[in-house]
Amino acid sequence: MALNRVLVANRGEIALRIVRAARALGIETVLAASAADAQSLAAREADRTVIIGPASAKRSYLNARLVVHAAKATDCDGLHPGYGFLSERAELAALCEEEGIAFVGPRAESIERVGGKIAARELAASVGVPLVQGSGRIGSAEEALRIAEQIGYPVVTKASAGGGGRGMVVVRDAGSLRTAFERASLEAMEAFGDGTLFLEHYVDRARHIEVQAVGDGVGTVVQFAERDCSIQRRYQKMVEEAPAAILPEEVRLGLHQSAVHLLSSIRYRNAGTVEFLYDVDQQKFFFIEVNARIQVEHPVSEAICSVDLIQMQLRIAGGESLPLLQSQVVPRGHAIEVRIIAEDPERDFSPSPGRITRWRPPQGEGIRLDTAMTEGALVSPHYDSMIGKLIVWGRDRTKAIERLAAALGQFSIEGIKTNLPLLRYIVDHPDFKGNRITTRWLEQVLLPAYRNQTGA
Amino acid sequence: MGKITPRDVEALVELFDQSDWDDLHVELDDFCLTLSKRAGAAVERISRPAATESGSAPVATSKQERVQVASSLVEQGRAAVAIPDGWVAVRAPNLGTFYRSAKPDSPPFVEPGQEVHSDTQVCLIEVMKLFTAVNAGVHGIVRQVCIADGEMVEHDQPLFIIEPRS
Repeated sequence: MALNRVLVANRGEIALRIVRAARALGIETVLAASAADAQSLAAREADRTVIIGPASAKRSYLNARLVVHAAKATDCDGLHPGYGFLSERAELAALCEEEGIAFVGPRAESIERVGGKIAARELAASVGVPLVQGSGRIGSAEEALRIAEQIGYPVVTKASAGGGGRGMVVVRDAGSLRTAFERASLEAMEAFGDGTLFLEHYVDRARHIEVQAVGDGVGTVVQFAERDCSIQRRYQKMVEEAPAAILPEEVRLGLHQSAVHLLSSIRYRNAGTVEFLYDVDQQKFFFIEVNARIQVEHPVSEAICSVDLIQMQLRIAGGESLPLLQSQVVPRGHAIEVRIIAEDPERDFSPSPGRITRWRPPQGEGIRLDTAMTEGALVSPHYDSMIGKLIVWGRDRTKAIERLAAALGQFSIEGIKTNLPLLRYIVDHPDFKGNRITTRWLEQVLLPAYRNQTGA
Repeated sequence: MGKITPRDVEALVELFDQSDWDDLHVELDDFCLTLSKRAGAAVERISRPAATESGSAPVATSKQERVQVASSLVEQGRAAVAIPDGWVAVRAPNLGTFYRSAKPDSPPFVEPGQEVHSDTQVCLIEVMKLFTAVNAGVHGIVRQVCIADGEMVEHDQPLFIIEPRS
């Protein structure tokens, strides 16, 4: 049953991470790469690389049939989708199931069950997981007005078909609801081809906290503690920590139980994350959504729980049961991850692709760098601009922050613009050190201060 | 060291062909040549079509073809066949299975020596039972079929070599 050869249907650091995790387990790897990634580090380390299509993601990494064909043609018995791209497309999981290829992730039906936000909310409600007061699908601005009165202002519109901030508009009073609703619906239509919205109560001081879990597919789910990912810009995470130091112990327990309960109710298989909104003032958490994949920020959970989640994914996909009991998961210390992004924070985060002429990452105890970049590597303009993840571990949050500050200070990248200066500024900020942040802190407090300081 | 000429490559191939070596790897400045007699061996990524077409050795019949195979070095790891000056390759639009005919028992769409026009269908590329017709894209004579029927091809891999006619 154990996997013999796995197709890696992704690129960048996660492709490399999967190749190495597979190798550690004695599993061969075939990398399905686009023409732009023929020379990537993952391509060099994989046992074999096949070029599936041109640079355009739509004609390579986003084509489920192409990826599955590559897996079949190269005799792979497993397929790891990584994150992003096709990772949460039920179509890919279903194609793998039809072809007898083990999909390293949940069953197609589970992806469908939690994929749409409205369906996921219904699922959460059915198992008693707290939800932010909200609505079902809303057909018109009139209906929205009526429902907003019931929920109570402020409210936020959300797109039924997707996330990433598109279709989200905060409305503080009835007077501005109609315009906001129409704008949000248009935005959702443009982004997802579906303008359907729902409304939610808006939490003013919120933190984004998520629980990492892994299920065996037959009803047992183990959680690997929670992460605090409140430092976001336009709903894109930039700094992630584990554990969420803000949580009172009883809230943390409730959070973990809710996540496990939700996922075990659908006999969830493999790695997944349940995201919650935490209301700092009321000390209450509310379900947001399930991410049915491994996430970018999984290393902070690994760092405090001393596990390798990618290896665990591969083993479960190979038919093994969960390698450890809940009681054996004992989080220790504090971990922080920062995303190194090839964007210029001084020019409104415009992407900065190009050749890396100098790449001197920090090294030392408690420092981990997940990247596929090297000196001389090209940051492609075709794909996401994240070029690495710096992860530090310390025995407590203060120690971790010290280490992170030192590591960021040592990190030197030339040839392209990155967000390193901004990350250094964040880590040095008293609000960050004092853990007094919310999901809007980066945009509303930090960035204006940063721009002032840099004169940008 | 001067520039590597096709003659040098031919000599290396000849030497390798007559030797009892399984593999030969040469690297000089920006030139890199890998030859293998093991089917689907380390050179797979580079010279797959040739290796699979000829069974064991990546060396085809005529000397000219040998040179083409030999210079399949190519640091891109994609272009499997060197194309003589003025000739053009019909390349795979994406990864898939290469089929020379519409059905297993029907004749190939084209044969070497045949004249094709830009809209002449030359093969099918199949991805999970979806077949895409590939046209010659140029008027000329088919000079070489680079891939065996039913083989997997990668994006941009040469499928046919055509000598254009004006």
